[in-house]
Formats: sequence, structure tokens, C-alpha cells
Amino acid sequence: MDDFEKEMKVGFLEEASQLLADTEQCFLDLETNTGDRSLLDKIFRLAHNFKGSAKAVGFDQLSHFTHQLESLLLKMKNGELAIVSQSVDLLLRCNDHVRMMLDGLRDNLEAQFDCTELLNEMQNMIKNGIEASAAPMAEPEAEAEDMPPAAELFADDTASAEAEVAAEQPPPVVAASPAPATSPASTTAATPAPASTSAPGAAPAATAAKATAGAVDDSIRVSFARLERLLNYVGELVILQTVVREQVSRIESPLLLKTVDQIGKVTKEVQDISMSLRVVPLKQTFQKMQRIVRDTAKSLDKKVNLELIGEDTEVDKTLLEKLGDPLVHMVRNAVDHGIESTSEARLKAGKPEVGTIKLAAFHQSGSLVIEIRDDGAGLDGAKLTQIAIQKGILKPGTVLGDREAHHLIFASGFSTKTVVTDVSGRGVGMDVVKTNISQIQGEIQIESQIGKGSCFRIVLPLTLAIIDSMVINCGSDAFVIPLSHVHESLRPKPEDIQNTTGLGDILLLRGENIPLFRLADILGRKRATTKDNDEIAIVVRNQEKPFVVLVDDIIGKQQVVIKALGKEIRHIKGFSGSAILGNGRPALILELHELIVRTKTGSANYNNKSMVSA
Amino acid sequence: MSNEKISETAGKAERYLSFSLGEESFAIPLLDVREVIAITETTPIPFAPTHFLGIMNLRGQVISVIDLRKKLGIKPNQSTENAIIICNLQAVTIGMVVDSVDNVLHVQSVDVSEKPEIDGSKKTEFITGVYRQEKRLVLFLDIAKALSLDDQKAIAKATVDKKTA
Repeated sequence: MDDFEKEMKVGFLEEASQLLADTEQCFLDLETNTGDRSLLDKIFRLAHNFKGSAKAVGFDQLSHFTHQLESLLLKMKNGELAIVSQSVDLLLRCNDHVRMMLDGLRDNLEAQFDCTELLNEMQNMIKNGIEASAAPMAEPEAEAEDMPPAAELFADDTASAEAEVAAEQPPPVVAASPAPATSPASTTAATPAPASTSAPGAAPAATAAKATAGAVDDSIRVSFARLERLLNYVGELVILQTVVREQVSRIESPLLLKTVDQIGKVTKEVQDISMSLRVVPLKQTFQKMQRIVRDTAKSLDKKVNLELIGEDTEVDKTLLEKLGDPLVHMVRNAVDHGIESTSEARLKAGKPEVGTIKLAAFHQSGSLVIEIRDDGAGLDGAKLTQIAIQKGILKPGTVLGDREAHHLIFASGFSTKTVVTDVSGRGVGMDVVKTNISQIQGEIQIESQIGKGSCFRIVLPLTLAIIDSMVINCGSDAFVIPLSHVHESLRPKPEDIQNTTGLGDILLLRGENIPLFRLADILGRKRATTKDNDEIAIVVRNQEKPFVVLVDDIIGKQQVVIKALGKEIRHIKGFSGSAILGNGRPALILELHELIVRTKTGSANYNNKSMVSA
Repeated sequence: MSNEKISETAGKAERYLSFSLGEESFAIPLLDVREVIAITETTPIPFAPTHFLGIMNLRGQVISVIDLRKKLGIKPNQSTENAIIICNLQAVTIGMVVDSVDNVLHVQSVDVSEKPEIDGSKKTEFITGVYRQEKRLVLFLDIAKALSLDDQKAIAKATVDKKTA
């Protein structure tokens, strides 16, 4: 096992304890509120996520067990199995068993467990329903001598739990490599930290079991709101510190000067750290996909290559946490549904034998965009509609446009696969994707051409992100432009700007003729009196057609924290938010393209009056 | 919201913050007020309605600042304003420029009279009542209504749709 794999596994375990705590609460709610279908849906989604992640990081046993559990849940969800205390009891025992496995894995990443009893029991209940399963349930209890029930295992300390490894499942844990010694999560095991601080959702029994094991989780979860508050105050601190520094230059006290200097350094450090608390590069999440593509392709006997673009794009941690699961699903879908099932089909279509999936991330027009593009068979709108009608999602006879038909794949219970496999077919994956993405105010766009391939684009707002930006001047006011929008900036010669009737101003740029706008005009303000040749042209190319915006001056390049505008002004087009600049004043973040569209449709002129009078 | 609760249980006195705009006195429920700060610089927002002065930085939070005088049609008296009242209104936090913050009024609900009914088309629903403080009349305001925060979005959307159509 290499370091990277280990890191992924440890990360998963951390995430899994949280999922497990959520699931348990749902199970308990279910017992008291058996009629609540949304609860079942939620549990099902949680289990599905859990299975996917477990498989992705290579905990096959765990994923196998959850797969079975999922089948049981599906029965209950479809109403084929009654939700009574007996079935809920089984679910809870499974939950305990999963937790026991997680605890075991935390100590030894290669631990193996005995799940046969519960698996049999689940199988029984799936096959025979509750009444019939009651009798066979007695059997495992009879064998309890060799296989203690999960609850008992669970209460045991982990060492003995590990010893209970079934004989048919090699290798025995005791002989396994001493992985925990080097795994990141347990590096703190050397320090005698209280074990009870880890795994907040765990039952007391689990904590007791862990006390002997001593593997301590050295990370904590902090709410986003708290972090936000911290950042606000740090921002304020930086500004106050600049004020003090300016004032102190008038006082002749070397000690004071030196102290203020040091405060400046410390403040900078604090600012850097608090900023870095929120953003992480996509790299790790992206690289996790390599493994998923490889494994999925292997199990489906396909040849698929994954290309990663923009791995260094930084994403707000909270966004990333919510992005992980949807990405796993979408990448797996691309391999499973996107790429043609056989090499022959690909060769026939004139495509290389090896399919390609491109995973790209970039910032665009104030959004974070993640693209999953495959060169497979594409989505067939007519076929999708047909399946939806078969599944009862659409009324018979419905005719949909391609775009609507493509979005059918997000419907709950929709699947183009007839056989439920490990990889897909339950019709729950894309549903999860959509739920998770819309939770973070994102949007999924689908572009697909039959025979050419599909592109799924996740567009996320930047409200949580920090961006690199260019601060520019228009008259006396500063504005912020996302650096990703700026292709280049230059000081044009007056003769390169040509005014034409009908087309407006045009900049002649190295053989290109690009429409030019003056920032003051598109903001509906009076032009500053500076001469044209002092102005700086900013070339924007992230839209379909390039354009140039003339600004008075560039103040500098800096990272800014995007602050959403209040609800009362958020609807105004052309601004994606605001940022607080070094002088403590807020500046608007410009959405240049929107501003230009606005100007063209004439609303700028309309609002012109109001700006002047304000 | 919370202030209604208190007034229900206590039944008697409610506290209002009174302030002046031009020559007139107004008051808003004290519980809507988050804080009062000295006037500060604002960054203007292009295309915003005229009564939006701009946005300001309140310890890291970006807040819209409005000039209620423009909204209510009170003659602006640019030089005298000296404070911004930060109000929490439902989901919106907003700063309001005022000429001066006067005092906190303890008002018995019986002392608040209904606003005098006027026949005419002028909208007065943002005035929740009037109160006579010695010889001065104080108008109780519902800021959210005065700014028509609820319907503003709809209006803005309608105008944009019309423009792009």
C-alpha cells in the first residue's frame, strides 16, 4: 500500500464515522416513524454514498457488506418489506457491525472481518420476508460459540474483535503489517491524548474499545460560520494594523516601530493561515478519480484513460466536501454509461480503442466549473424518454426536447441499466448527484451528442471562494475583476482605437479587431477626464467572443475573499459580489460580460440617470 | 419578531430608538437595531435604486447603506448626517444614514396613536403609528415596508425581463 492510498483510506474512515452517525439517527427515527418515506430515501442515499466511497478507496469487504444492506433497504423502500422493529433491529445491528469494522480498520487498514452471519440474515430477510426469516434467525444464535453476534463483538476491545476473524478470510489481522504506525491518523498515537476525543458519533462502548487501541483522530470539524467569523475579524485586524502602521511613522520611538513591524508580520501570518483554512486544491479529489476510473473500467472490462486538467484549482473546503460524492458518481457513470461497452463498437465509430474521460476544473465568469467529458456514445434523448415512460416517470406519449430528455437521468429511480450491478443500475446515483450539487447552489449542465460523447458540467457559485483578482480604477472608485477573466492587459496607442458608426469602438490588436468598451460607460457613469492614452485595455476572452474594456488604471493584483452582496441588491446584474480591499473599503466584483450585455440591451442608459443623480 | 413576543408577555412598555431625518423625528423598534456607528465611507453601487448610497464594510461584513430620506422624499440635508443605524430586518442587514440618533423611547402601547387617516393615494403603510413626545410628533417606521424589501426583487426582475425581451 503506498502513502497516497493510505491517506485516502484514512480520510475515508474519518468521513465514514460521520456518515454512520447520521445513518444511525435515521434508523432510530425510522423505528418511531415507520411511515416516513423521505427517511428511507435518506438512509438509502447515505448507504449508497458509503458503499461508493468504500469501494473507491479499496475497502472491498465494507463495500460488499453495504451493498447487501442497500439491497435490503431497497426492498423496504419499495414497500416489499415491512418496516417493523424486527427489520429495524437488523438494520441497527448492521450499523453496529459497520462501525465495528470501521474501528477495526482505523487500527489496521488491512483488517478483515466476519460478516457472514449478518449477510445471511439479510439475505434471508430479502428472500423470505420477515415472518419466514424469524425461524432461520435462530440458527446463527446456535452457532454463537464460534461467531459471537455483532453486539458482543462490538463491546469487546478492538484487539479481541480483530481476533474474531473468520477462518476462511485470510490474512489474519494479527499477522498483518503494522500499518497504523505510519498512517497519518495514528501518528499522534504516540502522545497519550485521551482517546475519547475521537469519533464524536461513536457509542460509549466504541470509545471504551478505542481506549485500548489509542488511535487518535488529529483533525477536527469546524463549522463554516465559525471560520467565516474568524476570517472577518482577521480581515479587520489587517486593516487596523495598517492604520496603526501609518500613524506610528509620526512618532519617534524605535521600540514602538519595531513592535508594530512585528505585529505586521504576525498579522500577515495569521491572515495567510486563516485564508488557507478554507481553500484546498482539487488535486486529491481528482487523483482519487484515477483509481475509480481504473477499478470501474476493469470491472466492466473497458479500456479508459482519465485526463486531469486544472488539478491545482483551489476550492473552498466546504464545497469540496460536498463535491466528492457527486464526482465519484459522475466519473463512474462516465465510464459505465458514457464509454461504449465494447472496443469493437468504438473502433466501428472511428474512435480510438481506448476511451478518454477528461476531468477539468477552472474558474469562469464568477463560477467554479468542473467538467466531466467522455468521448463515448452520448445520450440518446429518444431512448431516455422511452425508458422514463416504461419506468412510469413520464406519462406515456410524452415527447421531450433533447435537453429535457437529458435531464431525465437525474430523476429518482431512473436507470438505463436493466441489471443491478456493483457499479450502477439502482437509479440512485444521479439523484444523489443532483441533491448534493443543488445543496451548494450549484447547477449541472449536460451537453451531449449521439456518437460523439457527453459533457457534464458542474457550475458552482463562487460565494464561498477566494479568488485571484485584479483591482482597477474607474474614476475615483476601485473595482475588482476576477483574474481568470483577464487574458491580457495593455496600454493601447490612441491610433489603435477606432471609432466606427454602428460597431462602436474597435481595438486593433495584432491583426484582430475586438470590440472595445469604456468601463465608465458600461457602469453608467461619467467618463473621467483622463486622456485615452493613459488608459489600460483589459482583454477578456473567457466568453465566446473576446472583448476589451478600457479602465483608468490598474491598482494591483491581489487575492480577495468574495463577500456576497445583501439580498436587497443581489439581483442587480453585472456584479458577482464584493470584496474588502486593503484600505478597508468594499469594492464590487465586476462581471464584465454581464455589464456589456446590459449595455447592449439598453438598460444601462435607462439607469444612467439614477447614477448621475446619486 | 422577538420584540412582539416580549411586548405580548410584558404587555406594557416597548423600547424604540428615535432618530431624526431632516426636521422630522422617527423611531424604529430597538430590537431591530444591531448597532449605531459613526458615518463612514461607502462604495457606490451602479444601477442600484437611488436611495442606495452604497456598500460599507462593517468589520468584515459587507452591508448596503440606504438613505431613507430619498426613499421617503424628505429634503436631503447632506452636511448634517452623522450616524448609521445598522438594522437587522428579517434576512437582511442594512445600514441607514440618519442626521442624528436621539434617544431610546420607552413607550406604553396605549400612548401610541394610530396614524391619522388620509384620503389619497400616498402610501403610508410603512408608518406603524405615531407618538407625541412633548410637542414633537414621532413616526414609528417599519423599515422593511418602507424599503419594500419584499416586492423589490419582483419589480427588479420584471424590469430586467422587459429589457431583455
